Amino acid sequence: MTKLTLHNDGADDDVTRELRALYVAPAGEPYWNELEARIMARITEVDLGWWAELDRWARPALLAAAVLVLAAGVAMFRARQVETRTAYEHILTPSPVPVETVIRPTLEGDREASLRDVVGHKSNGRP
Amino acid sequence: MTAATAVQSTFAMPSADGDPRRSSDERALVVAAQEGSNEAFAALVRLHQRRAYAVCRAIVLTHEDAEDAVQEGFLHAFRALDRFLPDQPFGAWLYRIMANASLDLVRRRKVRDADELSESSPAPFRDPGEADELRRRLTDALTRLTDRQRSVIVLHDVEGFTHGEIGSMLGIPEGTARSDLHHARAALRRLLKDVRSDI
Repeated sequence: MTKLTLHNDGADDDVTRELRALYVAPAGEPYWNELEARIMARITEVDLGWWAELDRWARPALLAAAVLVLAAGVAMFRARQVETRTAYEHILTPSPVPVETVIRPTLEGDREASLRDVVGHKSNGRP
Repeated sequence: MTAATAVQSTFAMPSADGDPRRSSDERALVVAAQEGSNEAFAALVRLHQRRAYAVCRAIVLTHEDAEDAVQEGFLHAFRALDRFLPDQPFGAWLYRIMANASLDLVRRRKVRDADELSESSPAPFRDPGEADELRRRLTDALTRLTDRQRSVIVLHDVEGFTHGEIGSMLGIPEGTARSDLHHARAALRRLLKDVRSDI
């Protein structure tokens, strides 16, 4: 440790001694144990505080929320795209089954029924 | 050595400076504290609180402020622990935090004192235990130095830190610390000149 050498006489020692006495750290283990306890109490208080917990979770939570919003957005966009594409396809793509084929059985059935009805009437009217 | 073993062995062993195992044990304690062990951090507090107090006491004016600064400093260190690289010397990092906490406290006190100045004129700091003229005059002389000059002379001449360590702690170049020490000594010499002739 360096000596305070303000002057090269006996007064310097006094000044140095006084300076060190002025800045002497508290002696005795109980003082330091108590200071340590106070420091740790404050740290524990801060460490266990709900705001610290919130702070600890805030970033992951924000990140998770952002990912969820992004995923939902992408899903919605894709669903809409598929929907639009399907609608266009329905409009633009000709149906694999001709309309007539679809309609015909019904028409034919009606026609046959009418014919059967007429023929039946005629046959019924004969003696 | 695992972090848990280091915590246990540090609790058991004395924390004297110069212990050859201290450096590696301290590193293990830092790692354990970084992993969330409050016991390891308490062990670090136990190892460094005296030196931390000395650093703070050199910068602030009173014992009470030094206690506050030490507590603030350890709290800052605890919060910043995950940013500390365990390969670095923990003491140097911690004392820099302590010095910053002390300087912040000094700044806050100055603002508060300036606010209170219009209401009442505060008396200069007096150590209630001062018994003789030299101590009283020395106390007055120290309050007349700039904060940095006072810090540098106490850190160097009372606590034995090197110019480089002081520069690192106070965030100034080593040469500036050296120059501050020179000016602080010159100022004390001037302020205590008449006392010297009396004693």
